[in-house]
Amino acid sequence: MDNLDYLFAAFAVVWIGIFGYILFLSRKQRLLQREIESLEARVSKRGSHEA
Amino acid sequence: MNKVFAILWKDILSELRAKEIAASVLFFAILVIVVFSFAFDPEDDTIGLVAPGVLWVAFTFAGVLGLNRMFAMEKEKGCLEGLMLCPVDRDIIYWGKMAGSFIFMIIVEVVVTPIFLVLFDLPLFMPELALIAVLATVGFVSVGTLFSALATNTRAKDVLLPILFFPIVIPVIICAVKASEVAFDGKPFGDMLSWLGIMGAFDVIFLVVSSLVFEFVIEE
Amino acid sequence: MNQTNSLKYNLLLGLSFVLIMASLALVFLYAPTEKEMGEIQRIFYFHVPLGWIAFLAFFVVFVSSILYLRNRDSKWDTLAHSSAEIGVIFTTLVLITGPIWAKPVWGSWWEWEARLTSSLVLWLTYLAYLLVRSYAREESRGARFAAVMGIVGFINVPIVYLSVRLWRTQHPPHLVDTLEGSMLLTLLIGVAAFTFLYVLLAYHRTTLMNQARKVRILRQTLDEREE
Repeated sequence: MDNLDYLFAAFAVVWIGIFGYILFLSRKQRLLQREIESLEARVSKRGSHEA
Repeated sequence: MNKVFAILWKDILSELRAKEIAASVLFFAILVIVVFSFAFDPEDDTIGLVAPGVLWVAFTFAGVLGLNRMFAMEKEKGCLEGLMLCPVDRDIIYWGKMAGSFIFMIIVEVVVTPIFLVLFDLPLFMPELALIAVLATVGFVSVGTLFSALATNTRAKDVLLPILFFPIVIPVIICAVKASEVAFDGKPFGDMLSWLGIMGAFDVIFLVVSSLVFEFVIEE
Repeated sequence: MNQTNSLKYNLLLGLSFVLIMASLALVFLYAPTEKEMGEIQRIFYFHVPLGWIAFLAFFVVFVSSILYLRNRDSKWDTLAHSSAEIGVIFTTLVLITGPIWAKPVWGSWWEWEARLTSSLVLWLTYLAYLLVRSYAREESRGARFAAVMGIVGFINVPIVYLSVRLWRTQHPPHLVDTLEGSMLLTLLIGVAAFTFLYVLLAYHRTTLMNQARKVRILRQTLDEREE
C-alpha cells in the first residue's frame, strides 16, 4: 500500500509543469529581448542617417 | 418593452420568409436522435438509461446550430449595424434576440420531442417535460445569445460558439437530463424539484448577467 | 525596475524559494504517513493547494475583468490574462495529479466526483477564455470578449459545483476537516508556497505582456515613419 511510484509520478508532473511554464516565459523574454535589440538598431541607423 | 417586441417580430418575420434555419436545425436534431439510436441498440434495455441524454444532446447541438445562425445572418446582411443605430438601449437588443432564439428553440423541441418519444417507446403525454424544456431552453438562450453575438465578431465564429457555450451550459445539461430521467421513469414530481431549482437559478442569474454585459460584446 | 521595486521583487523571490523548500521538506520528511491510504496521500499536500490557488487565480480573472470593462485600463486586462494562463496550468496539474491519486486509492483513474469534475469544467471554461482572445480581430476587442467570458465563467462555478454534487452523491471523505495538526501545518505551508509561486509567476507574466505590448507599439510607429 505504498505506491511510491504513483507519488513520484504526481510529484514529477507538478514540477515539470511549473518549470515548463517558467521555461516558456524565459523563452518569450529572450525573443522579446532580441526584438528590442533589432528595434534599437533600426532607431540608431535612422539617427545616423539623419545626421 | 415594445421595442423588445419590435426586434422579436422582425426576427420572426424574416424567419418566416426564409425558413432556412428552422428547417435545417429541425432536421439536424432529428438526425442526432436517429444516429444515437443506431449507436445504442434500441432493443436493448440500456436504451432507457441513455434516452434522456440523447434528447438533450440533440437539443444542445441543435441549439448551437440555431444560435450560430442568429447573429451570423444579421452580420451577413449588414443588419447588425442597422440594429446598433436604433435609438434603443443595448439590453433591449439582447432581450429581443433572446426571445427570438427562445421561441425558435421551443418550436424545434415541440416538433422533435414527439418523434423522440415514439422512437424510444416512451409515454407520449408528459406535462413535466414541457416545464423542464422551458427552464433548460431559457438557460441555453440566456448565455447562447450573448456568446452568439460575441462569436460573430471574431474570425472563427463557427468554432468559437460551441467552445464558449458548452462549458457554461454544463449545469443546465446535467439538470435537464436528470429531471427528464425522473419524468421518463414515472417517478413523483417532487424528485425533480432540486434539478428544476438549479436550472431556475441558472436562468435568472444568466439572464441578468448576460443582459448587463451584452453591450460590451456588440460594441464596435 | 526601480530600487524599491527590485528589493520587493528579491524579497518575493527569496520568500517563495524558502516556502517551497519548507513545503517539500514538510511533505516528505515531517508529515506522518496516512494510515489508510499510505504514502500516496502525500499527493494531497500539493494537489489541494494547486486547486485552491487555481481557484484564486480565476477569482482574480473575474475581478480584473470587471475592472477592465469599467475603466478600460489595459493593466487589468493584462492581469486577467496572466492570471487565467497560470490558473489553467495549475488546473491542468490538478487534473493530472487527481487521477494519479485516485488510481491506487479508489482503483480507477477518474471518478466523477464533485470537486474533480468542477475542476474539469473550470479548465474547459478558462481554455475557452484564452482562445477567445486569439480569435478576435483586434486586441481591444479580444480583451473585451475575454473579460465577458471571465465574468460569466466565474459566476457559473457555484452552479456547476452544486449540480455536479447533486449529480454524483458519493463523496470521498472531506480530508481537510479531519486533518491532524502536523498534516494541517504541512498543507498550510503548501498553500502559502503555491500562493507565492502564483504571485511570482503572475508578476513575470504581466511584465512580459506589458513589454511585448510596448515593443509592438514601437515597431508600428517605426514602420510608419520609415514608409
